[in-house]
Amino acid sequence: MAQAQVPVTVLTGYLGAGKTTLLNRILSEQHGKKYAVIVNEFGELGVDNDLVVNADEEVFEMNNGCICCTVRGDLIRIIEGLMKRKDKFDGILVETTGLADPGPVAQTFFTDDEVKARTRLDAIVTVVDAKHFLGQLEQGDEAEEQVAFADVILLNKTDLVSEDDLKKVESKISAINRYARIFRTQKSQIKLDAILDKGAFDLQRILEFEPDFLHHGHDHDHEEEVKSLSLTADRPVDPDKFQKWMGALLQLRGPDIFRSKGILAIDGAPRRYVYQGVHMMMDSDWGTPWKEGEKRFSKLVFIGRNLDGENLQRGFNDCLK
Amino acid sequence: MKLDFSNPAWQQTLPPGRSVAADAPAAACAFSKEGAIVAFALGDGRVRLLPADINAAETPAGEPLHNGVVLALVGDPAGDGFVSGGDDGRLLRIAADGTASEIANQKGKWFEHIAAHRATGAIAASAGKSAFVVKGGEMKEFGPHESTVADLDFSKDGSRIACAHYGGVTVWSIGQVTVAPRKFAWRGSHVALKWSTDGKFIATGTQENDIHVWRVAQATDMRMQGYPAKVKSLSWTADARFLYTSAQPVFTAWPFSGKGPEGKPALQFGEEGAGMISVVAAHPAAEFVAGGYDSGELQLGDIKTRRSVVLKMADGSAITCLAWSPDGYKLAVGNDAGTLLVIDLRR
Ligand SMILES: [Zn+2]
Repeated sequence: MAQAQVPVTVLTGYLGAGKTTLLNRILSEQHGKKYAVIVNEFGELGVDNDLVVNADEEVFEMNNGCICCTVRGDLIRIIEGLMKRKDKFDGILVETTGLADPGPVAQTFFTDDEVKARTRLDAIVTVVDAKHFLGQLEQGDEAEEQVAFADVILLNKTDLVSEDDLKKVESKISAINRYARIFRTQKSQIKLDAILDKGAFDLQRILEFEPDFLHHGHDHDHEEEVKSLSLTADRPVDPDKFQKWMGALLQLRGPDIFRSKGILAIDGAPRRYVYQGVHMMMDSDWGTPWKEGEKRFSKLVFIGRNLDGENLQRGFNDCLK
Repeated sequence: MKLDFSNPAWQQTLPPGRSVAADAPAAACAFSKEGAIVAFALGDGRVRLLPADINAAETPAGEPLHNGVVLALVGDPAGDGFVSGGDDGRLLRIAADGTASEIANQKGKWFEHIAAHRATGAIAASAGKSAFVVKGGEMKEFGPHESTVADLDFSKDGSRIACAHYGGVTVWSIGQVTVAPRKFAWRGSHVALKWSTDGKFIATGTQENDIHVWRVAQATDMRMQGYPAKVKSLSWTADARFLYTSAQPVFTAWPFSGKGPEGKPALQFGEEGAGMISVVAAHPAAEFVAGGYDSGELQLGDIKTRRSVVLKMADGSAITCLAWSPDGYKLAVGNDAGTLLVIDLRR
């Protein structure tokens, strides 16, 4: 029996940003859906619910010796355990601690065969504290990396700052990750269907939509800064050349590349080829078919450190027919 | 015990059995110590007891004992019932009549793995990063380990337990909690563990699709690679000459007699089944082995003749658990669709 893959939402955010408030709402609101919630601090949630599972954030390094190839073994076990339940879930939410790197959580869903067969990574949602975000950026890499990994950002506590300050925060977020969809929220109030089970839709959107509000002149171009960029192509992609180039790129630059996503027009293929990756690990599938007469194009998105857009575009151009 | 696979009866008809439909996946199954009862751990909190005699009247399903999934189950080595562990953090002793009493409660953790030692009547169970040994009404905690205990097993004489976790295996002396445990290190996440039936080897399956085996006395180790998936099921033969592993389409046994398996290929035999073996269980006395596939197929193999027969065809529901009766005549089988089988191999 082929079972549908359960969508997984990873919830990150700095301490105090509003993750717990959001989780409490998901667990207590009447939405007719059944979510399993994997948390790192049992006591923080006000609700006692047998769909809440306590996790220990046990990260282990894969045997390949690479620093970015880390996985959450506890999550593998918990998901295997949840799948033994009589009742199935509409979704799984995984909360990470405020200072955690979202990489190992996300990579778990690309690594383990059974987890891959039963679940799919839907989106990484990052809750950002509008009042404290700029200050948190000064305190270490965590706040910046959490934004870099995000597919969706809840810019929370907007009632505590002025419109001018909000714009500054949004502009900073976009400088790091211009492909994340940003929702302004207060007390983590958001319609849940805006953030849960959205993955495929969002990937499509992200790749077709190029935000134009970015002022490129503002780019400081400090090489070590986290930024996002996209590569495009009108000619069809040679799948073998692409596979080789992307494989080598992730192997060499994986630790610096937080996220990569893409939609490809593969030479001769009737469907879009979609993929998403976290560091060195990636997952791909055939997406929706190209329509009759539709202009076929390809687009890749990278979010990471030390990205050289021109160099990457040259490499991608060599993969085209 | 004698089974003759060349006997036409084996090729033409399946052995008799009992089939019960539960409405939740089976996570584990076991026979009671004397073999009179068989039990299945289910995903709805029930432990389904059935008479091992396939002609006896079926007992009713009963109420859920755990609030959640029953993750682990063994025959109670100190009684005629069972011991179960659940994701509700409880470890229960279940009497032959189905009534349960709580042995331990670790709220917020899962009792995920249980091992039983027949001769001493002890059980070992893991919850979170610790292992607990229950013997004669006394419970001792071993740990915490550096990460959650992913599996555990007793030594042959029951004096020690081995716990698998990140970075290898820790071996504790049960009688001496204060004695520093022995560590057997190997990088990575170890997800399954079986101590050999002669006590000389500890085998683990790892997250990265290989098997690690330590010689306990010398603390030397060996590694077997080349599996296409995680090896989550390991089973030593009664004479400790072979270690069977899952994650292959045919029966796969590593030879441990003589100089051991180093430099030798695994022995592979039997009909290629549909899919991969998900659970493997060596016979408690003879040269037979049962293999359940992720496709639902069930095979019985004979390492002496290197042959196998199909006991059940693939049906798309992965076999999740297997258990032999103590006398070796019956086989309990559970799958992820809640089909519970008890097969009697005598005919
Ligand atoms: Zn890596």
